[in-house]
Amino acid sequence: MFRFENVSQPPLQHVSFTIEERDKVILFGPSGAGKSTLLYLFNRLRDPEEGSIYFQGDPIEDHPISSLRKKVGLVLQAPHLFPGTVLDNLKYGPALFNEWDQRDPKKLLEYVQLPSSFLEREVDQLSGGEQQRVSLARTLANEPDMLLLDEPTSALDNRTAEDIEDVLESLIEEQQLTMLMVTHNMRQARRLGNRGLFISDGALQEDGRIPDMLDAPSTEALSQFLEQ
Amino acid sequence: MSPEISNQSLLFLIVFVLIPLSLSYFYQLGMSKSILWSSIRGTVQLFAIGYILTYLFDLPPGVGIPLMVGIMLIIATFHARQKGKELPHVLPVIFSGLLIVEVSVLFMWLAFDMVEFAPSEVIPMSGMVIGNSMVAMGLSLERMKNEFKQNNGQLLAALSLGAEPKQASHLIVRNTLNAALIPNVDRIKTIGLVQLPGMMTGLILGGVDPVMAIKYQLVISLSIFSSVSISAMFVTIFMYRYFFNEHKQLIESEEEMESQRS
Repeated sequence: MFRFENVSQPPLQHVSFTIEERDKVILFGPSGAGKSTLLYLFNRLRDPEEGSIYFQGDPIEDHPISSLRKKVGLVLQAPHLFPGTVLDNLKYGPALFNEWDQRDPKKLLEYVQLPSSFLEREVDQLSGGEQQRVSLARTLANEPDMLLLDEPTSALDNRTAEDIEDVLESLIEEQQLTMLMVTHNMRQARRLGNRGLFISDGALQEDGRIPDMLDAPSTEALSQFLEQ
Repeated sequence: MSPEISNQSLLFLIVFVLIPLSLSYFYQLGMSKSILWSSIRGTVQLFAIGYILTYLFDLPPGVGIPLMVGIMLIIATFHARQKGKELPHVLPVIFSGLLIVEVSVLFMWLAFDMVEFAPSEVIPMSGMVIGNSMVAMGLSLERMKNEFKQNNGQLLAALSLGAEPKQASHLIVRNTLNAALIPNVDRIKTIGLVQLPGMMTGLILGGVDPVMAIKYQLVISLSIFSSVSISAMFVTIFMYRYFFNEHKQLIESEEEMESQRS
C-alpha cells in the first residue's frame, strides 16, 4: 500500500520500507527518533526532503492531497477536538467531501463503544478517554483505507488506555484496516501489532514480526531500547 | 466662545511633567530620562504637526488632502507591519487594506454630506480612522499568530481529515475577528457614559454646540467602528493563507515562513 524509498526528512535519513494492505504495523523507538515525522509523511502533513513515497502504486504527489488525507486517516496523540458537539466533530470530515448523508453517526459511536446519547454532548464536557474515542470516530467517519495512530493512549491513565486498546483491537479486526501505530508501550505493541518497525538515530534499525523483535532483538540498539 | 491658551499658561504644563519625574526620582524607577525625552519629543511633534496642518489647511483641498492622507497611510502601514514582519506580503496587504478603508469612509462622508471636502475636516478625521485601523490590523496580526500557535493540534487534525487551509483556519479567523470586534462593540455601548469621547470634548471646548459636537462624534465613532471591523477582517482573510504552504501543510517555523516570502 505504501512504499518508502530512501526517504529523508530530519531527523529521518534514508528510510526505506513497504507497508502491505492489512498490515498492523507498530512503529517504535526512542523519543526524537522521527516517529511522528514519519507518520506525518504518510498523509502529507509533511513532505520528505529526499526520496520517494508511493501510495497504491503511484507517487504520493500524484494523489490529490485532500483525498489522500481522507484515505489515510490520522489520530493524533491528543484528541484536538473541534469546539461544538460530538456530532459536529463526526460530521467534519465527511462534510468536506459531501458524504455525511452516507454515514450513520450512531454506528460511528458504536465502533468506539460510546452510546448514541453522546452525539449531542459538548466535547468539552467529555473525559480524556471519551475525547480520544471521539477523535478516533472522527477519523473513522472518513472511512479511511489506512489508520495512522500517533501514541493514541499516551495521555491516558492505564485503565482508560486499555479500554481504547479494546476498541482498537476489535475495530481493526472488524474493519480489516491497515494500521500504523506509534507507541512506547510494548505490551500494547504485542497486543495490537503483527509487524514492527524500530527506528533509532534517524534510521530504520529493524523490521520484522513483533513477537520476534521483542523476544529476540537482532540489533544492539533494539536490545538497549527494550532494556530501558 | 473658544478659549485661548497663552504661551505663558502653557509653560505651567511643566508641572504635569514634574510630577511623574519626581515619582521616578523618589522611587528610583529609572524612567526620568525617558519621561523627559518623551515629553519634549511629544511637545515638539505636536507643534510641528500644528504648523504642518496650518500649512496644509491653506493648500487647495485637492492637494493638501491626498498629500497628508498619503503620508498617514504610509506611516500607518509601516507601523502595523511591525506586528507581522515575518509574514510574506504583509506590507502590500496592510497598505491596500488601509487604502480601501480610507477611500470607502471618505466616500461615505462626502456622498452623504457628513463632512466637507476641506483639509481642516478630512485630515483630522482621516487620521482617526487610519490610526484606529492601523491598531486593529496590528492586533489582528498578533492575535492570528497566537491563534495559529495555540491551535496547532486542531489545525493538524482538520488538515489530516482533508480540510483545505481555508476550512481548517475557519476557527482561527473567527476567533481573531471576535477579538478585534468585541472591544469596539463595548466602546460603542458605553460611549458618552464612561468618558466623553475625545473629538466631542475638543469640539465643545472649541465652542461648538454640544448637540452638533455629538453629531460629529457619531460620524467619527461609527466610521471608526466600521473601519476597524473592515481592517481586522481584511488583514485576517488575506493573511491566514500564508501560514500554509502550497501543499496545504502548516508552516511551523519562522525560517520556513521566510522562505515563502521569496
